[in-house]
Parts: sequence; structure tokens; C-alpha cells
Amino acid sequence: MQRIDSNEINERVFELTGYRRQDFSVCLGCKICASVCTVNDLALNVNPQDILLSLFMGMEVDKGHPLLKYCTNCYQCTNACPWGIRIPEVIRAVRENQGIETLFERVFKGSIRIWGRVYEPYIFLKTGLFLAREGYLKYMPKWTEYMSFHLPKKVKIKTGS
Amino acid sequence: MEFAYYPGCSLTGSAKKFDKGIRRVFSILGHTLVDIPDWNCCGAFEYGDKRELMELSGENIRKARGISKDIIAPCPACSRNLKEANGDSTFNVYNPIELFSLDFLSGLNIKRDLKGQVFTPYYGCVLIRPKETAIPDTNVMEGFVKGLGGETVGEKIKDRCCGGSQFFINKWATERLSKMILDRSKGIILVFCPLCHMALTTFSNKERVVYFTDLLLYVAGERAHI
Repeated sequence: MQRIDSNEINERVFELTGYRRQDFSVCLGCKICASVCTVNDLALNVNPQDILLSLFMGMEVDKGHPLLKYCTNCYQCTNACPWGIRIPEVIRAVRENQGIETLFERVFKGSIRIWGRVYEPYIFLKTGLFLAREGYLKYMPKWTEYMSFHLPKKVKIKTGS
Repeated sequence: MEFAYYPGCSLTGSAKKFDKGIRRVFSILGHTLVDIPDWNCCGAFEYGDKRELMELSGENIRKARGISKDIIAPCPACSRNLKEANGDSTFNVYNPIELFSLDFLSGLNIKRDLKGQVFTPYYGCVLIRPKETAIPDTNVMEGFVKGLGGETVGEKIKDRCCGGSQFFINKWATERLSKMILDRSKGIILVFCPLCHMALTTFSNKERVVYFTDLLLYVAGERAHI
């Protein structure tokens, strides 16, 4: 009974990724994903299998799991996995399901909603306070080669066609 | 040959240099790049909803209709997303680096060699992962450099992650991952990704990070320096 109830927690995750619950039944816990995970280069001691197991068992993924915060989308896990499970995409779906969104992601998507493209000056403006507070401005001398100004162009996106 | 060209967001801004390099290399080689009209963002890695992401990228494939069946997208995140959205359709989506075989580049009219110079070719993540959208040859840059008498190092770090996608989120993570690559590099670091270029440059000490296209233009005599 508990499993049926808790499966509903993850229903949207499966919907978002296109995976089915049984697709994760093949994971036997070999931990090869953990052995190649970039996040472990940050000494965070993560095991991506935790997330697959939670989804398969119908349990809620731990909101504080470091992979939800630090996954770099490097796909090392996917390439190493005997089943090629796209763990970064599963993690992105779990984040979406749990409403986890950083300022950068919010502004990035905001730009796409407005112009259909990422307009970098807008991103810079909207995240300016964060960048100043977090000590990014000291890199400005190295960023001169990245600075160029152009006006935004609005393009249409006909999704769902 | 005529290609439909998808520059992507960063190549119109922070990676303008990469965009200019790509356009110039293809122009020298006698190919035409036709910009996909009103192309939109590919979605990068910011969407948890796979369908939403694929719709964004798929829309660009639709916009390429009538231009060419061969689409090129230089940014690895863009080429990956477009390749996946394309699936088995009649279009061919390429990251330009997979076209850069020695034969393809032979039309560059090489004016300089690279004897005595050391390079660290760095591919990063999404050019070579996941398998389904990876470039087939992960020694393109090495082959070119060695062919001109240069030396390459860094085989063990060329596919490690620079942490670029965490750059504006958890800076310390990107710094640590990028420094791991920088510390193990030698000579000029060659990249083919706007995000890798920015992350490695930002956290470099004296190491120089350049786009592979800059090297191509240097040996072709189009640039005074690499």
C-alpha cells in the first residue's frame, strides 16, 4: 500500500524523463556510476544509484542529496553504466519535480520565454547582485574577451507542433 | 558544400570569437554556412522536462528545412541537443569538429608548422558523452597537431569535466574541477566548447586556453598568434 502511494510521488519524474519505473529494475548496484562520478572529484562521496533506487522503490528522493545540487551533467555515469541509464536527465527531472531551481536557471529560462534565446546581458543584469556577492567580479579582467554587446533578437518558438 | 548553421546563444555573445573562427575556417575551405533563420535556444541543460527540451531543439531542425540537410552546431551542448532531437530524421546534425578530418582540413593551405610546441587538447564532456550523440573520433585535435610536428599531452584529462555547468551556481565546484585539468595540462590548452573556454580561462594562472579554430587559423596564416 505504501509503495502504491509513494509511487505517485515519482510519477511525474518518470513522465519528465520518459523512463518507466521498471527501467531502473536492471540496476544491480554495481556502483560503477559512483566510481566515475565527477561530483566525487569534489570529495562529496555520492552514489548516483541512491537516486535510481529511491525511484524504483517508490520512495521520495532525499531533497538534500548532493547530486541534486552538484551534478555537472557530464554523463560519465551514463557512459559507464552497463545499461546506459541517463542519470543526469533523471536528476534534472527530480529537481524539476521537487521545485529546485537556482537563480541562474530561472533567469536563463526567463530569457528564453522573452526572446526565445539566452540574451547574456540580461542574464548578467538579473544575476548581478548574486555575482557581486559571490565574488565573481574579481574575474572581470579575464572576461574582457567575452564581452560584446548586441541587441536582443526576439524569435518565435512553435512548440508542440 | 552548403551547411545550415546553428550558432546558438553563446556564439552570438561571449563566444563570438568561436563563431568568427568557425565561419572563417569553413569559408577558407570553400563551404557555405547559411544561418538557420530565427533559430531559438536549444535549451542547454536547464530543463528537467525532456519533452520541453526536445521541443526547443526540434524546433531548430524544423527551421532548417529548405536550407540544407546538413546542420552544423559548434557549441557541444547545442549539437548534442540537436542531434538527439533530430533522431533518425533525414537531417544530419554535426558538431563541426567531427568534420575536421585531416582530409577535410587539407584545403587550409598550411603556412606554419607546430614543431617544438606543446598542446593539451581538451574535449570535456558533451562532445564525447553520451555515446549516442558523441563525436566518433576523439583524437581530432591530436591528429592535427601531431601532423604539423607539434606534441600533445593530457590524454588522462581530456575527457574530464571542467564543471562549466556549475559555473554560475556553485563556483567553488567549477574552480576545483577546472584547476584539476589546468594543473595537469602543458602548453596551450585547445578547446572546442564556449563553457570550457570560460571556466578554464577564469581559473587559470598562466595557462592559455584557445579554441581549436584559433589554431587552425594560425597555421593557415590568418592569425599572427595562436
